Amino acid sequence: MAGKIRQMIDLIIHQRAKNNPMLERVIKTKLMLKGVNPKKFDMESPDDPAILLKLERMMQMFK
Amino acid sequence: MHIQTAFSNKDSAEASVRELAEGLSAFDPKLVLFFASTKYIPANICQLMQNAFPGAEVFGCSTAGEIVSGQMLTNAIVAMAFSAEAIKDLSLQVVQDLHDEQHLTNAFKVFETHFKTPMADIDPTEHVGIILIDGLSGAEEGFIESIGDLTNVTFIGGSAGDDLKFAATHVYANGKSYQNAAILAMLKPGVDFTFIKTQSFRDLGIPLEVTKADEFSREVMEFNGQPAAASYAAAIGTTVDKAPEHFIQNPIGLVIDGEPYVRSPQQIKDSSILFYCSVMEGMELSLLESTDMLDDTKQSIDQAKEELGGISGIVNFNCILRTLDLTQKGQTQDYGKLFSAVPTIGFSTYGEQFLGHINQTATMLVFK
Repeated sequence: MAGKIRQMIDLIIHQRAKNNPMLERVIKTKLMLKGVNPKKFDMESPDDPAILLKLERMMQMFK
Repeated sequence: MHIQTAFSNKDSAEASVRELAEGLSAFDPKLVLFFASTKYIPANICQLMQNAFPGAEVFGCSTAGEIVSGQMLTNAIVAMAFSAEAIKDLSLQVVQDLHDEQHLTNAFKVFETHFKTPMADIDPTEHVGIILIDGLSGAEEGFIESIGDLTNVTFIGGSAGDDLKFAATHVYANGKSYQNAAILAMLKPGVDFTFIKTQSFRDLGIPLEVTKADEFSREVMEFNGQPAAASYAAAIGTTVDKAPEHFIQNPIGLVIDGEPYVRSPQQIKDSSILFYCSVMEGMELSLLESTDMLDDTKQSIDQAKEELGGISGIVNFNCILRTLDLTQKGQTQDYGKLFSAVPTIGFSTYGEQFLGHINQTATMLVFK
């Protein structure tokens, strides 16, 4: 399977930033500090379970 | 004036707190933030500070050197008092176990109740968080990462110090002293605010990709598929034996949009390098080279002043490695003078927080 990481990154940015460019930058920085560089993932990227776990946790905690 | 500062370096805690209280006596503070040398017994200094300001929320931490408007100090206590106009609302929480995430999520539930708003909806342009955390816990990375997951509100702060004894650091709130703990303050300022994150390094464009690491022990075993120590030394152009001589001037950094998030090497262990904060496998880091700290800091303050249209207070979380570098160069007085014109307090930290846990950086909360 591929592309799930890209989808989740986009979802997290959309969910948290709500089209605010300043918040988008902050969230991308937080992702990079977690070791997830948004620029490195596209719809062809394999679904790495360790990265998916980090992203799922990030989504779950922001409620 | 909605923000005032005071300091004291008297020998006894009682005399120092009395002097601080007299310095702030014309003021009815809603919040008092303080940073104190470990020459003051932790359990005593926090109790005295709370008693001196009974109508205020009082919190702080131990230090490895203090900063007040115009001066860098040692063996002193510094305090900043905020009026109800400066801080309209706040909630203070002590997280007593840094390794149990439930304690952190409970603190954020209290914030939600206090501000009557779900965390996801608390406006980060109107609220700011301060974090003071045990500087010897080794837990800062995971803790600040979890905070970043829980909220869009920016938390800024520092890791408590202990005057370079590396024995025990303390955080203080409500008249009590804590270890393996963090103080979280969620503030709703009544004035505009911004942040400074300044580190005096430029990116040399020499990549060091982390190919093997143990993030929990802050150890990097390999850069670019080679033993970390040898790879770092080669990037510098020196030998492994001499590489530690370059650690202060040439740390490495995760460069995001041109902005380095510094990871400082601490020591070489066999063929690995131990860092002052964790480095994750897969991170593409870059070798950095030091620039002029006084110039860079001045520029950052000037930019913040221009952005806000004036500054009424600065809280400066300044890395101990920066302080040691300034001391070595005989520049501590010059650094202190950068803050002469503005009510400022700060301390030399064992780590800085801004979005993540970082090294060799000054993170500052700046109020208009």
